[in-house]
Amino acid sequence: MASTRRQLTPRQAFTLIAVVLAVALIALVLYLLFYMAPTGFTELVVDPGEGGLRPIMVISGPGTGENPSFSRPMGAAFGPDGRIYTVDTGNNRVCVFDDNGRFLFEFGGFGVAKPAPGAEASWEEGKLNSPLGIDIDDDGTVYVADFRNDSISVFDAEGAFLRRFPDPATRVGFGASGQDGTGIAVTDVAVRDGKVYATDTYQVVIFTTEGELLGQFGKPGLEEGDLDHPNGIDVDENGVIYVADSNHNRVTAFDPDGEVLWQVGERVTEMAREAEYTFGLPRDVALSEDETLLVVDAFEFDVAEIDETGIIARYGARGVEPGQFNFANSVDVRGSDVVIADKENDRVQVLELIR
Amino acid sequence: MRWFAGISALIMIGVLAFASPALAYDEAGSGRTCIECHGLELGESAVPTPTVTRKGPHGGYSTGTQKCETCHTVHVAPLGSTMLLPAATIKDTCNSCHDGTGGQGVYGVLAARGLTPNSAHRIEATNIVPGGATDGSDTSRVFSAAGGLMTCSDCHSPHDGQTVDPFTGDRVRDASEAAQSEATTLTPATNRLLRQRPTGADSAVTVYGSSWCGGCHKGRLSGSAGVVNHPVETETAGFAYDNVPLVDGIDQITTSLGSLGGTNRGYTMPATRTVEQAGHKPICQQCHEDARSVGDVTQGTIDASEAFTVTTADGTTTTDNPRFQVFPHESVNDSFLIEENDDLCLNCHVPPGG
Repeated sequence: MASTRRQLTPRQAFTLIAVVLAVALIALVLYLLFYMAPTGFTELVVDPGEGGLRPIMVISGPGTGENPSFSRPMGAAFGPDGRIYTVDTGNNRVCVFDDNGRFLFEFGGFGVAKPAPGAEASWEEGKLNSPLGIDIDDDGTVYVADFRNDSISVFDAEGAFLRRFPDPATRVGFGASGQDGTGIAVTDVAVRDGKVYATDTYQVVIFTTEGELLGQFGKPGLEEGDLDHPNGIDVDENGVIYVADSNHNRVTAFDPDGEVLWQVGERVTEMAREAEYTFGLPRDVALSEDETLLVVDAFEFDVAEIDETGIIARYGARGVEPGQFNFANSVDVRGSDVVIADKENDRVQVLELIR
Repeated sequence: MRWFAGISALIMIGVLAFASPALAYDEAGSGRTCIECHGLELGESAVPTPTVTRKGPHGGYSTGTQKCETCHTVHVAPLGSTMLLPAATIKDTCNSCHDGTGGQGVYGVLAARGLTPNSAHRIEATNIVPGGATDGSDTSRVFSAAGGLMTCSDCHSPHDGQTVDPFTGDRVRDASEAAQSEATTLTPATNRLLRQRPTGADSAVTVYGSSWCGGCHKGRLSGSAGVVNHPVETETAGFAYDNVPLVDGIDQITTSLGSLGGTNRGYTMPATRTVEQAGHKPICQQCHEDARSVGDVTQGTIDASEAFTVTTADGTTTTDNPRFQVFPHESVNDSFLIEENDDLCLNCHVPPGG
């Protein structure tokens, strides 16, 4: 029997290969478009930089919805799965992105929990009022410093409201700086080992993750350990508490009982800001993977790496390009990655810390 | 000639590669050299005024300070910004720091408490001055923001140049540095960086009070032609924010001279006038200030038990805490009045038979 197998002509073979390649190319393009490329206002940065903080991506907003752009984001944190939680302060919300910068969802919205006499409360579960700092627990639970509502709001990893504490209408311990003497004027939070640490105007307040008050320390003044409008806090595995004492221009490490372990930075005298000083306005702190401390300095427009002996290195500069900052306000670390809330550039940046 | 052109080009490249100091300006160290070129603003002092507290990057510049770059950038200002400011407008630049986290929030603080402002100095929204003409009518003026609109720097000097004398703080919001270093008082002296001569004012005044307000609201001053105004006392008569008759205590009408900062007592002048009050008029701020209870006033006595008497720092004593004070930026009352309707008038005016 003669074989009936048909041989392709060279022209047909060439056409077939061309079609296969074209289909593969289209599939590749679709893959890149729909799976790899970030959505929203995220820019993947290709500039390798020159060491220090290498820009990875810049996120300027969800790119969709009523407010597609950020308005003065003042907090940002990594979730345990690499998600990026951004506190979009001007829009009273938290926007969540995956580790590629793709917008996932948002939660929050404006609500007043402590109306002044003559005003009505508009707060409902999940609403925020000038949110500032944020931290994520190991299980993905989200803690947000709800500054003008004088409390901490807690959400699950998908943004569902769980609880808030302290009660903004109740005096906290021996008192704090919330409106009318109740609640806490909370600017930042850190969660670790079942405890939530919060910065108030002149002190640190510690709760369980369920909101039970465990302790508080700090006072206004000029002595070692006194606080003046701290804006950032982090805690290490030994319970050492690191505070960005903004208006004292210093970073202070406290032991778990609130005793000062060390300080870096010195108060810059108001009227004679000398040429030699450590920090201009430290706004947040975050522990790096090798136990040094990263400090966002809004007035120096950079990120300082410190330990108890002082400055190790400084990264970044003022500007609008990736890797540059304009009154940056917060920092968080995950491995070698760093996320910065670059407030006055209306964006957050993810960068790699290279030593 | 071709070789000559080539050599010339190489020379040009060399010159550009090793540019002049001006072209190779080091922005990172700019604070040390800004005033070498720009000098000081008129009236600005390089020597700090020790009685004034908490000015941060505002004022006190010298070749040894690095304050300029906090608010100005040489090479990376946003497109459309003015004076190399880091934000698009002057207001936005101010808000970069004055965002409320330092206790110095201004606009938006009322809304955050669920309140609706009914009066405001509407920055970057208007150039109309109520009572700005000497005949008492409104007038327009060319202010400093884009389009001639009024903005922060029309009243405040961010460089502390030619600012008014320090006065007792009109808000006790701060328990930190000033309070600790001046342990005898919780009302630190400040000048709020107020210009002696706000934009459009004909002359400078050195003391905060009615005369300062009258720099813009010319037609509101006593004696202005063409309109009947509520009389106000002036700097010339010796009365200003730091020098008014204060009621000494609850259910008393005895007074002594002092500052309006830190208390509401003395905002009003109950009949019968006391020795200090007799023959004098109130100053603007006795009726135009933050909305607040000033207590009930009846003839011959004043019940100030309901009034705020600010004695401690912001947030530390419940009854003392008008934390959202934002005068003269926003108010829930019309025209920044401390009280509205008859409550305000009856503080000073006793009705017939009353």
